[in-house]
Amino acid sequence: MHPALSVIIFTTFSGMGYGLFIWLCGSLLMGDKIDDQSIIMATTLSTILVSIGLIASTLHLGHPERAWRAFSQWRTSWLSREGIMAILTFGPMVFIGGVTYLELGFENLIAPMAVLGILGPIVTIFTTSMIYASLKAIPAWHNVWVKIGYQVYALSSGGVAYIMVAGWLHYMMVTAILVAALVVKIITWIYIDKHRGQYKREDALGLPDFGKAKPFEPAHSQKNYLQREMGYNLSPKKRALMRWLALGCGFVIPAILLYIGFPVALFIALICLGGMMAERWLFFAEAEHVVRLYYDKDTV
Amino acid sequence: MTCLPEKTDKKLGLLIDLNICVGCHACAVSCKEWNTSGITGPMEDLKPYGDDPSGVWYNRIHSYEFKKEDEVDRTVYFPKSCLHCEDAPCVTVCPTGASLKRSEDGIVLVNPDVCIGCKLCSWACPYGAREYDTSAGVMQKCTLCVDKIYDESIEEERRVPTCVSTCPAGARHFGDFADPQSNVSKLAAENDARDLFPEMETKPVNQYLPPQKRVKEADKKLEQKVSTVKDALLKWASLDFSG
Repeated sequence: MHPALSVIIFTTFSGMGYGLFIWLCGSLLMGDKIDDQSIIMATTLSTILVSIGLIASTLHLGHPERAWRAFSQWRTSWLSREGIMAILTFGPMVFIGGVTYLELGFENLIAPMAVLGILGPIVTIFTTSMIYASLKAIPAWHNVWVKIGYQVYALSSGGVAYIMVAGWLHYMMVTAILVAALVVKIITWIYIDKHRGQYKREDALGLPDFGKAKPFEPAHSQKNYLQREMGYNLSPKKRALMRWLALGCGFVIPAILLYIGFPVALFIALICLGGMMAERWLFFAEAEHVVRLYYDKDTV
Repeated sequence: MTCLPEKTDKKLGLLIDLNICVGCHACAVSCKEWNTSGITGPMEDLKPYGDDPSGVWYNRIHSYEFKKEDEVDRTVYFPKSCLHCEDAPCVTVCPTGASLKRSEDGIVLVNPDVCIGCKLCSWACPYGAREYDTSAGVMQKCTLCVDKIYDESIEEERRVPTCVSTCPAGARHFGDFADPQSNVSKLAAENDARDLFPEMETKPVNQYLPPQKRVKEADKKLEQKVSTVKDALLKWASLDFSG
């Protein structure tokens, strides 16, 4: 799949924002002493990150002015469910941030809102992952590791952002999640590498009993929409480079820097975000759509 | 609404006979010609006379060479357009309801006034049936010539998709697959009709008739006949009247 910057920003930024908010709410529920300024910083940053992600996702649309229509088909469409959940999840963010900023008190409401502030992002991230995981036509996405991955990567990148705004209270836990996310990513790559080639051109043509098929005259002289959108070719060299970049910047370097107590948390968060963008770039670039069987691929 | 109808009254679709198709592209050209001025037109056509023309086509004619041991290679021309699937994944993923499957005849359509151009439907389709119109910012696809097949102002025999009426070889048939007595249902039942990509579990309505199998016995009989005739001719040529 063509790795478009708008959709890469969409899931990396919103993932980090939701992860950050989950950490904040978890921290509040555990009764950590967090000063008001940190709460305001955390809610503001998570709102900004999620908003950047959502705005970026609308840039991908042919008609961004009609984006509101996407809230209507929640009965069948994961994209529609994602849109609705993303809007609802702003509720606890704005409540906790606003109540703290305006010093309104409402102390007995903070705990239930923090619970919603954990559940809301988890459900939203799940709907995001299902946009991709529900597509049978893209085997690299149609598996459980995509669903698990989106949750852990949001938690790991959000955890780094949380340390940046709220201090080093839980840095060992964040480090552990970074390591867990690293393991999930490696398992995902093993999974998709092992399952490559399960569909054959002859299956796509409905003619598995006529021998081996190869393209003869091309259907059209120039590339069409399908080939531009779904015909991305990732060279093995570039894939290796991007995988190392994603592993290193997304998980390993942030984990090491947190462990040794590197003083500039902003730097760790930026490296982590960059690594996540490399990871998300690969998520698209590595995913092969079965429509390529009608064109250049013998197997997908 | 992007919920799929539980059952459609009709299942209108195409039956494409790969044994007959000669790959002339007339159906694709005729499709573009009809639909660019039809209800879903104009169909994007960028730099049509330039070095790098691109645009939307609802129907594309692929071709493949099949190799099988002990058989002569065969060339198969393979027209591909929307299959109007019963379990159409392109419909259920649509966040706006622009993508729909009609309960009366099963035709899958895009409402261009509601489509936001998110392209997710084209990702969900395993067949590459949908193409994005970059000028209009909406998704486009085969309508089964919905503006032709119900038009009572044209003669009844012409009320079929334009790809079907145009095909000079008679490789394309149109009808109701829900009716077991229809032309397409009968042809499909008699001829080992195929679903494209059954592994994708989309239940396509359109069906394909495979190329003819090579019949080994028939090939052998023909070979024997040829050799008998050849022997007789050789005898005559050498004025040998022995047997």
